[in-house]
Amino acid sequence: MPDLFIAMVKEEWRIHSTIFGSLGFALFPAVVAIFAFLGSLTLPLFADVLPYAVVALLAHILFLLMGVMVGSFGLMGREFMNRRFGQASLVAYASRSLPISERRIFAAFLVKDTVYYILLYVLPFAAGFTAATPFISLDPGYGLLAFVSLALAFLLGLSAACFLSTLYAHSVALLAGTVAALAVLALAALRLGATAVPAVLPPYAFFLDPAAEPLALSLLLILVPAAVSVIFVTFEYPDRTKRFANSLDPFAERVRTLGSAHFIAKDALDLLRSEGGAGKVIFSFLLPLGLVWVCLQVLIQFIPGIDPLVVFAVLLGVISATIYNWLTEFDSFSSYAFLPVEVSEVIDAKLKSYGLANLLPATVLVLAAATAGGAGTFLPALATFLSVSAYTLAVTVYLTGLYPNVMLYSAGVFVRYLLAISPALLLLIFASIIDPYYAFLSLLLIAPAALLLSRGRTKWQAWEMPGY
Amino acid sequence: MIEANDLTKDYGNVTAVNRVSFSVTEGELFGLLGPNGSGKTTMIRMLTGQVRPTSGSARVMGLDAAKDPIGVRGLVGIIPEQETPPSFLTAEEYLRFVARIRNLDSVDERCDHWFDLLEFGDKRDVLCKDLSRGTRQKLMFSQAFLHEPRLALIDEPLINLDPIMQRTVKDFLRSYVRDGGTVFFSTHILEIAEEICDRIGIIHNGRLLHAGQIEDLVGSGRHLESFFLDLVKGDTGA
Repeated sequence: MPDLFIAMVKEEWRIHSTIFGSLGFALFPAVVAIFAFLGSLTLPLFADVLPYAVVALLAHILFLLMGVMVGSFGLMGREFMNRRFGQASLVAYASRSLPISERRIFAAFLVKDTVYYILLYVLPFAAGFTAATPFISLDPGYGLLAFVSLALAFLLGLSAACFLSTLYAHSVALLAGTVAALAVLALAALRLGATAVPAVLPPYAFFLDPAAEPLALSLLLILVPAAVSVIFVTFEYPDRTKRFANSLDPFAERVRTLGSAHFIAKDALDLLRSEGGAGKVIFSFLLPLGLVWVCLQVLIQFIPGIDPLVVFAVLLGVISATIYNWLTEFDSFSSYAFLPVEVSEVIDAKLKSYGLANLLPATVLVLAAATAGGAGTFLPALATFLSVSAYTLAVTVYLTGLYPNVMLYSAGVFVRYLLAISPALLLLIFASIIDPYYAFLSLLLIAPAALLLSRGRTKWQAWEMPGY
Repeated sequence: MIEANDLTKDYGNVTAVNRVSFSVTEGELFGLLGPNGSGKTTMIRMLTGQVRPTSGSARVMGLDAAKDPIGVRGLVGIIPEQETPPSFLTAEEYLRFVARIRNLDSVDERCDHWFDLLEFGDKRDVLCKDLSRGTRQKLMFSQAFLHEPRLALIDEPLINLDPIMQRTVKDFLRSYVRDGGTVFFSTHILEIAEEICDRIGIIHNGRLLHAGQIEDLVGSGRHLESFFLDLVKGDTGA
């Protein structure tokens, strides 16, 4: 067991350090601690909008989801691994070729995930928060309490993901029935009383009231599903082969006037059919937008004259550019290297797909203007959104080509990305504080955006895939 | 159809292909043989303009592969060794996608032909990520011949195929060549080359050690395996 555990820890380290670089990954806990420290320092500023108890709830939900994500990735992330590294072969699959039982491997896997991710995320987060407590008039003892309750929340998510994965491996119907039953139980619990949220999230209840009962309930909800998962584990998943009628041609026909119609149709099908469907794109950019909107409501109180719609448009432009990351997630130049296709043609098609997908954030801007009564500054906000979006996209394309999901983790590329974007954004925000109509200056970004896109095409056209 | 002159490719300090020259004429089935890492894949990638040679040149169907890679890829069919079809298109959608890139007509007929010939019509509506490796290879084979090219360049043509399908593919390649087509393929499986090739080249450490007719080898009473092993083991890399 110790050998297996050590091999898995090494493997986990190498998976992450391959993606992010050894030093970058080694510094990751420090970054988590610093962000937790700085974030905790700002808590008093947001106290009216976000009471401490709500922040604590959000943190527990965040760690619960992280546990779910870690559990899901470990067991079902093979598609991702294959895309990134070619054929993946993990220690977790060793029972197929070595005389080690699946139960033993899986138990070691769970212990490894517990130790590894608590050290990587929970401990640094709690340390950062603890370091901030003297500055925000909180008892440092809350730091230790947060460490325990957040670790419990993480393990609850991890254990649940493993439990559901094991059910799924045995029977999809069993999984569906269990999820439905749990949903009914959770809804019933929520309807029973005013303190319902702590009742369905015992680690959070333990944070609010560090008593034996929520602690015991948390441990029970972690250990029982984990034990069931280990006892009944199997790596033989049911056949999930999906069949689809030809959707490429009908979709391409709808966007025929744009040109590159089959590339755009392929992008759409990639997004719709990959894990999470279109929801992952919406979720990944609506969540930060929600946070931005909350922050803006706070900023209004401190900075007189700020126009929230224009500032929102600036940030919306930056965040919407991340849609390009999703559009390139399932492609690489090598997919087209044996076909009569120019690299620049693939990039142009991605830009068209991006233009279509960008209608979603544009709609968000219209809704924000309508609900926040910002009709007066809608036009400068719209110009700002379009210009910033185009400029950020152009910088991304120039620096990373079709590989933003990998290359932005390179420290050098990331610094250049920040240096190219941050000054322009800050200038725009300051100008709009003086007068919201100065935001029309953002249209000046269109020229460098066009230049960067043109140079990006040339640069990536000349790029040659490494290896032999 | 193919003229390679002093082709060289360096990757940093590693010379993957070292001053290789050869030619392949129309209607020939040419097999490039070599151990793993000998430079076969790099050779195909240079001939199809996927990588630029460090020095030397290659003309494919009259075009300079380095200067007009898109022209070359438009004319020839290519099956790369490692590339797989896009995960989230079905097998049929992928063939249609390739057909649109190549501006082909009669797409339905072309797709049906390949689904029938390689016997995977029952998988046409399955996502490529859910296809077995063998079926993916059938799909890559189909995309390479969808536009009926006069020249096909194939990296390990029979990889992942079962014996029945290997027979089908070998028969197809022979009939394709009989009908005037030309095939350049690389492999490290000597039996395949011995069975279907007209001419072979043997590459080791990036250098072409031998090029000649299979008939001459057989006529001299030698087996390809012993000839290959003697040549490669005797190569000191000088």
